[in-house]
Amino acid sequence: MFKVTFTFESGEAVEAFATSGENLLEVARKTNVAIDAPCSGNVVCGKCRVKLVEGNVVSKKSSHISEEEFAAGWRLACASTVEGDCTVLVPDIAAAYKSRMKVADLSSSDEIRIFETAKEQISEAGIAFTNNLSRISVKMNVPTLDDTMPDNERLMRAIKAQENVDIVHLPYSVLRKMPDVLRESNFSVTCVIGKTKNTIFVYDILPENDESAICGLAIDIGTTTVSALIIDMETGKILGKASAGNGQIRYGADVINRIIESQKDNGIQKLQDAVIKETINPMIAQMCASAKIKTRQIYRMCVAGNSTMNHLFAGINADPLRMEPYIPAFFKTNSLYASDLGITVHPDAHIIIAPNIGSYVGGDITAGTLVSMIWNRPEFSLFIDLGTNGELVFGNSDFMMSCACSAGPAFEGGDISCGMRATDGAIEACTIDKETMEPTLTIVGDPGTKPVGICGSGIIDVICELYLNGIINPKGKFVREGKRIKRDKYGMGSYVLAFEEEAGSIKDVEITEVDIDNFIRAKGAIFSAIRTMLTALDFDISMIDDVYVAGGIGSGINMQNAVNIGMFPDIPIEKFHYIGNSSLSGAYTMLLSKEAEKKTYELAQNMTYMELSAVPGYMDEFVACCFLPHTDANLFPSVVLR
Amino acid sequence: MPFNRKPQKFNAQIKAVEIGVGEKAIKIGGENILPFYTFDGDMGNTPKVGVEISDMGLEGAVAGIVSYYEGCTTAAEMAKKAAEMEGADFVALSLEGGDPNGANKSTEELVAVAKEVADAIDLPLVVEGCKNVEKDSELLVKVAEALQGKNVLVLAAKEENYKAVGAAAGLAYNQKVGAESAVDINLAKQLNVVMTQLGVKPESVVMNVGTAAVGYGYEYVVSTMDRIKAAALAQSDTTLQMPIITPVASETWSVKESLAEEADAPEWGSREERGISMEIQTAAADLVSGSNAVILRHPQSVATIAKMIKELA
Repeated sequence: MFKVTFTFESGEAVEAFATSGENLLEVARKTNVAIDAPCSGNVVCGKCRVKLVEGNVVSKKSSHISEEEFAAGWRLACASTVEGDCTVLVPDIAAAYKSRMKVADLSSSDEIRIFETAKEQISEAGIAFTNNLSRISVKMNVPTLDDTMPDNERLMRAIKAQENVDIVHLPYSVLRKMPDVLRESNFSVTCVIGKTKNTIFVYDILPENDESAICGLAIDIGTTTVSALIIDMETGKILGKASAGNGQIRYGADVINRIIESQKDNGIQKLQDAVIKETINPMIAQMCASAKIKTRQIYRMCVAGNSTMNHLFAGINADPLRMEPYIPAFFKTNSLYASDLGITVHPDAHIIIAPNIGSYVGGDITAGTLVSMIWNRPEFSLFIDLGTNGELVFGNSDFMMSCACSAGPAFEGGDISCGMRATDGAIEACTIDKETMEPTLTIVGDPGTKPVGICGSGIIDVICELYLNGIINPKGKFVREGKRIKRDKYGMGSYVLAFEEEAGSIKDVEITEVDIDNFIRAKGAIFSAIRTMLTALDFDISMIDDVYVAGGIGSGINMQNAVNIGMFPDIPIEKFHYIGNSSLSGAYTMLLSKEAEKKTYELAQNMTYMELSAVPGYMDEFVACCFLPHTDANLFPSVVLR
Repeated sequence: MPFNRKPQKFNAQIKAVEIGVGEKAIKIGGENILPFYTFDGDMGNTPKVGVEISDMGLEGAVAGIVSYYEGCTTAAEMAKKAAEMEGADFVALSLEGGDPNGANKSTEELVAVAKEVADAIDLPLVVEGCKNVEKDSELLVKVAEALQGKNVLVLAAKEENYKAVGAAAGLAYNQKVGAESAVDINLAKQLNVVMTQLGVKPESVVMNVGTAAVGYGYEYVVSTMDRIKAAALAQSDTTLQMPIITPVASETWSVKESLAEEADAPEWGSREERGISMEIQTAAADLVSGSNAVILRHPQSVATIAKMIKELA
């Protein structure tokens, strides 16, 4: 056994033990040291750079590390094996993705407005906001030597008589605490129940007049970020809100890499643990603590995520999803309960899963479609969820069509040399002076935070500014020279956003021609999907009345710049609406309203799924879109160079 | 009801590009009809045929070609002979010897060859690079400089080196520039856009949109050329109104049908006949799909295609 010490720029250190020949990235994963590895450790992305400080590791050389860097100790963790005691420095950029859990401050109305809006709009569409969880008072005769009925029968009989039902379920969790609660409260108790036609499920037994809230938990499981809400099921009030990086990130940035990882030894369990034990359970604990409720007061959950996330969350083999003919284990299921999955809420809490439509159009989209309200309007709306997979829904109250395109992780900073998620140190917005080519940056975090990398909304701004100022050509290649334009020995250009001395990183924060090319492909995937879907319906871009943009790219997205680079159609900017995390607000409404849940199933069933890869013209359209703003400039009449 | 002929009229026109100087200068393009649709209108300049020679001499050439150039010892002598070929409108000099993975001749040596050839003939000259992107961005720049005043067509600027080649040939030395893309209408258009943004006049650009030998995914070539002409004429897309030149010979003489010796494939018959057949079929198909000029090697192919153009146009 060798000792591996991981040190961080903050000065902290973590010690781990490794056997000879063990992969350094694996050791880090085992020890919960966060090192970004979007390519899942395949020596492809070059993101898991670490610096050898002491001792030695055996590393394969790769194109991601230059000779000078190698000499300075830089190694790729995934290409290194431990052959002795060593100390490695994990730079902030490699660990920056691991966003700290954030418990939202609910005193600001901004945080809850989108949920209230969603609820209002859905109510206006005639959907009742009621669910079957409620609280009842039950009074029983106190047992005597002449009345020797056991506690459970006494309770069930009383409920049957009072609520006029034939069947009452008393689960183990209730049975266990029943004798004490009954006696403490002198056989006059409050029960939390779930009522369906002829059956009552007793979730909890509480002392008489116990007013503790009946809570529900809504979760959006994103490939990159998990967000959650705790709500009062009776009033709809939001009691807690939190978000955190999906703990599965260290197993790969995209769903395919996660599925591959799940096929390794004990992989399904590892991935399930990463999302439940490491991500969701701590979020629940924190939210409950700040809302001053007990975790077992959460009696129901609703989960919205893409098909792969749903499978991995449930601990179900997702491998068939990635292989022809791409069959999921379920589109929807009613069989999941909190205790089965080890979620630290009430053990009998039922888990509602937002239904999937196809292998690559998941519950996050159906839930999002519900709150986008496009199903309730005569106008034609386009709903775009910008994630690692881009998903689109187009339609109105008469029809809806959906498709998914693989945009890659670029919107969340993946595939970009200095890319990162929108956490502290990320450049989220940028303008560039045409004459001097000097940038003005907006950085996530407290004032004074130094730039470490760039996130999706920042990349849109940078590419747009570089293009409009004639610094890059429509192919994304540099055509001007200057202090901020660098060329490597192969002539590949890059634009320096922050020189080493201005940056909070160990090297220049820059955007290279390869990065720009990757991003152009990502935006090309989105726009070509829009075009292909509209063309299939014989619609023209001018016929889009409204565009609803959702997803983790952030509210910081500059819609005009997104149009300028040809990611979104060139229609008046006021038609674009950023609706935030529509997957979470969808889950919120499904949790609160049985009718909203039913409506979502109906939407999923009525949506036509279009497989883009089966459309002959798609590739042609895609190549046309891989240009700034588009090969057919007539599609973007408003985009004019400065 | 009597048949009423309705000509298909377009409000747009392919640009005419002039190559060469003096009496023998040629113009390609200029039509406002689909290829050979002379019943619809004016074909402008009829498609042109070029004869390709190489700085590498007659390496690997078939007997018919070897005997045609009998007695020639230099590229300049071959060029003279090529210019006399029946049906030849221009000469194309391939500088394939410059390929770093091949003979790797120096830029100076190749520029000297190009200069000798240009001085030896009065027919317009097209100069083709060695296809290596880095070498070409140096070689073609020097060629364009050395041949100032000859109005040659330099083949070709690609996405990777359009800045160097386009700026030299199209801007600095006033030659004509080829814009080469790989059988994709969008890529062809994108290159034209960035090239004109560089400042190269559209009237100085000739597209090489790529070709394949017939039977080698050739449908893509037809569809690409077809759609380019349709976009240029029907949709008045100015970024696609450049004429098209297609180097046919280098494709068709490097497929197995043209390479396999008769001894190795007796059931296929004469190698030379096969090679000519591939060259003629591909060139004919390129022309009717929209090429305004083709580059060929075999005297029989040149004569046949020239005859076809004469009879159809």
